Amino acid sequence: MLLLLILLLPLLGFVFLGFFGRQLREPLPGVIASALTGLSFLLVVAAVLSGGASWEIKDWLPGIPFSLVLDHLSGYMGLVVTGIGFLIHVYAIGYMHGDEGFSRFFAYLNFFIAMMMTLVLAGSYPVMFIGWEGVGLASFLLIGFWYTEKVNADSARKAFITNRIGDLGFLLGMALLYSLFGTLSIGELREAMESSTVLPLALGTAGLLLFVGAVGKSAQVPLMVWLPDAMAGPTPVSALIHAATMVTAGVYLIARSSFLYANLQDVSYVIAVIGLVTAAYGALSALGQWDIKKIVAYSTISQLGYMFLAVGVGAYWIALFHVMTHAFYKALLFMASGSVIHALGGEQDVRKMGGLKKYLPRTHLHGLAGALSLAGFPLLAGFWSKDAIITATLTYPFGGTGFYIAGLAVAFLTAVYAMRWYALVFLGEYRGSGKPHESPPVMTLPNDVLAVGAIFAGFLALPEPLWNFIEPYLAPALAHVETHHMSLGVEWGLIALSAVVALVGLYLGYLAFNRWTLPAWYRTFQSWSANAFYVDRVYNALIVNPLKELAFIFALFDSFLDTAFVALAGLSAWLGERLARVQAGYVRVYGALMVLGLVAVLVWGVLR
Amino acid sequence: MIHLLIFLPLAFGLLALLRPGQARLLGLVGSGATLLLGLAGFAAFLNGADGSYQVPLLAEAGVYYAVAWDGAGVVLMLAVVVTTLIALLAARDVPPAMVGLTLLMEAGLIGILAARDLVLFYVFFEATLIPSLLMLGLYGGAGRVRALVKFAMFTLVGSLLMLAGILAVRYLGGSPSFLYGDLTAHPLAGSAGMWAFAAFLLAFMVKTPLFPLHVWLPDFHAENHPSGLADAMGTLYKVGIFGLFRWALPLFPEAFLSFQPWLLALAALTALGAAWTAYAQTDWKRLLAYGALSHMGVGALGLFSGTAEGALGAIFLLAASAVYTGSLFLFAGGLHRRFGTLDLKPTSGLAKSAPGLAALGLILVLAMVGLPGLSGFPGEFMNLLGAWQASPVWTFVGFLAVIAAAAYALGAYQQIFHNAPDKPAADMDDTEWQWGVLATLVIVFMGVYPKLFTTALQPAAEALAALIGGGR
Repeated sequence: MLLLLILLLPLLGFVFLGFFGRQLREPLPGVIASALTGLSFLLVVAAVLSGGASWEIKDWLPGIPFSLVLDHLSGYMGLVVTGIGFLIHVYAIGYMHGDEGFSRFFAYLNFFIAMMMTLVLAGSYPVMFIGWEGVGLASFLLIGFWYTEKVNADSARKAFITNRIGDLGFLLGMALLYSLFGTLSIGELREAMESSTVLPLALGTAGLLLFVGAVGKSAQVPLMVWLPDAMAGPTPVSALIHAATMVTAGVYLIARSSFLYANLQDVSYVIAVIGLVTAAYGALSALGQWDIKKIVAYSTISQLGYMFLAVGVGAYWIALFHVMTHAFYKALLFMASGSVIHALGGEQDVRKMGGLKKYLPRTHLHGLAGALSLAGFPLLAGFWSKDAIITATLTYPFGGTGFYIAGLAVAFLTAVYAMRWYALVFLGEYRGSGKPHESPPVMTLPNDVLAVGAIFAGFLALPEPLWNFIEPYLAPALAHVETHHMSLGVEWGLIALSAVVALVGLYLGYLAFNRWTLPAWYRTFQSWSANAFYVDRVYNALIVNPLKELAFIFALFDSFLDTAFVALAGLSAWLGERLARVQAGYVRVYGALMVLGLVAVLVWGVLR
Repeated sequence: MIHLLIFLPLAFGLLALLRPGQARLLGLVGSGATLLLGLAGFAAFLNGADGSYQVPLLAEAGVYYAVAWDGAGVVLMLAVVVTTLIALLAARDVPPAMVGLTLLMEAGLIGILAARDLVLFYVFFEATLIPSLLMLGLYGGAGRVRALVKFAMFTLVGSLLMLAGILAVRYLGGSPSFLYGDLTAHPLAGSAGMWAFAAFLLAFMVKTPLFPLHVWLPDFHAENHPSGLADAMGTLYKVGIFGLFRWALPLFPEAFLSFQPWLLALAALTALGAAWTAYAQTDWKRLLAYGALSHMGVGALGLFSGTAEGALGAIFLLAASAVYTGSLFLFAGGLHRRFGTLDLKPTSGLAKSAPGLAALGLILVLAMVGLPGLSGFPGEFMNLLGAWQASPVWTFVGFLAVIAAAAYALGAYQQIFHNAPDKPAADMDDTEWQWGVLATLVIVFMGVYPKLFTTALQPAAEALAALIGGGR
């Protein structure tokens, strides 16, 4: 029951604000929504401290219970979702101040929390799918929150449809698992798989299909195109849904299903490769963006790629570690961006910023902490988790040296674009007009908390021989994976190497975007990167538009079918008319026909 | 009990036809009372009373008045009584005679669902056609005659062949009567069974409908009265899947299995093709017609899998889609009242001036998209689990409609409600709130707690699957 309450509180907020929100005066809807999310957080804390809980309705669908489970994995994820979610709710009270849709916004946010917690607490795949689609809907509603702009409405629909492509994979994966094991309860599947005689090919297909779902939700190559457009939503939405929580649902799905993937080497390899490609693509695209939020959005794609690299090599707990640190620093980066946009009256082009260090001292510190953590500045949260992933490519079973080198290269790019973001926004001279003003405390206080997390959260899981709280905590909920042991000297040597890479990247980024004039080849790259390598354009030309055309061809075919049936009816009418002439009413005609008929029968009889 | 459920709307319907002045009141009271009776019948069914009753009509010919509930019949009956009330609530400015005809259709539909004698079923099946034709012929749009001829021809050709099949199944099979139990105990095997099955199949494919026999459907909806009342009732009348579930498959399991691969393909192509075609529509009713057609394809895919999951999913989907598709037709009727057109884009940015309407529209559209938590999902999902066991490939093809549905449904919704505000319109009035809340409650309840209905459906679905050998 306690678990149900975790979902029901925000859901209640959604229903209440949906019906009565417009009668309430600002900031009451925001306060209610934040309080309910905060309560949910406290309930998760209580459930985690009490060691776990579960709740279910038997036979919700025949043979499929509606089950909620709070174990170490869902508890951990639930803390991230409701905790960060609460901070972002509070921030949004300030950010959405004066917006006509203030209460609608908080209704949607609460709906999102309810659905995300359904996803996290799900004890079976269909229940997870409820949350999965629910957060997709919340994302649709919030991307298109300012729906009177066509761009926003279109981006919302694009996100939903792209996600649905992945969801079809999720659905088919469930169908396959059900046909193999007769159950979709995650716990039962885990047990069944231990003594499984099912063909590895079938299991591999199931794993791939579920992964397709994860690719859609977590914006991996090739379904990443919706996430940058999703920035059309208000900034707290970008922070909450499109950075900290929803987009990590794909990682969560794989980690939840680690008992499946730990036995699937080939599928895991595919996941790792896709993750790495995505990480590289996101980083290269982030480098050339001019929109303050789009830089962070492509960075999110890239960081999600890292998480998939981690689950791909079998380092499930490290992926979840990165989910947590990333939630802190990426939410912080988005909300710092939001503060900047807020301060500049809606300006999002970094070319019209610069020098904001002077005007927005608090936000500047937030931005700095977030950017350094993202860049992997030594000892900050992002450093420890990203380094853990890169090192894991050498020690975990499905890894390899190629992954290591590529991962390190992307880390270098990450440091460069993080510094570029910071330098263009905060350093140099202010290039815009008007006087920027610092945001109110309701916006800066949540960011203070996030900044603390972005700096210190890495200390929860340090490399050997230091302490690590997260791995042993998550271990019971994840598949056991054998790792190669690495001597401490090598391990710390590699850590030092990645620290050097990050520092060099930061320094180069500082020089490049604050000091140097860039060479011509870079400007070519810049324009490719600014357009995210034209993937959208290619998709539109090769996939989206042909499919739309095909719809009209289908419709044309349908009217052709209609005509064919009408012609058939016309034919029988015509035939009837001809035959009717035979009924002339003259005895001599009937007599002649009778004779002819008799002759025909006789001839047929003889010839036979 | 069942008799009352059939004859109460019949009586109110006739009364409404006789007293056009009080038609709306009679319609609401009649359908409201029927709803209560229906709920009581469902509750009784859950407690084990199937209300079975039989008395000979033509003893020599083996024709009985035999009625009873099974899971499929009773769940669909609920959909009928709820949708009829919603439809009569929503369609307030229709010609009074339409109210009477609607109630007559309701009676006929309940009869179709309850009949346990094949001749009785046929009588209800055909009798329901009459009010449906009358509504289209009397109150349809400019192209109603053409649409009516098409609708009537398809239906009649199908059902006349079925009549031949009905006679064949009893006399060639050697059953003492037309009762369900007797007929299934004397199956008609061999090539005679094939031909008889084909006759049934044709009739029910017209009524599902399935590609390529769906040609009557878009015109039927596009030309019917703009209020959406006739469309909602017409949606309920698409009982093809039920006919297959109750009669065609149990009577001819052997013939079905030899047709099965083709039927799966046809169902999958209907699901995908219709969803895709829907994307190219510019008229609300045509869009909904194709959207609903696509859902019927998904339902048929589940049913033709021959599994218990699929059969259950098919009936659940049929019941659920009757409610939300019917409601969407009525919703389109509301737009027509505001803008005088059923064009997909009578205005834009309507969410600004009519947020309540926008919310209702979104819920209905999302139910159609099959969003979990709403009524479209449980049926679709069970169909998926069933269909996959019969044919993963056709399941994949058919379920591509899941993606297409998001494209056409959300696209159409956003055209009206999002983008820059154009002509404003009044938000929901009291009547719209009433039916909107009722429809929403049903849609959410079916999505959140499907257990109530699946428990009722499961024995019937399992019995069917056992009869046709699990489909494999």
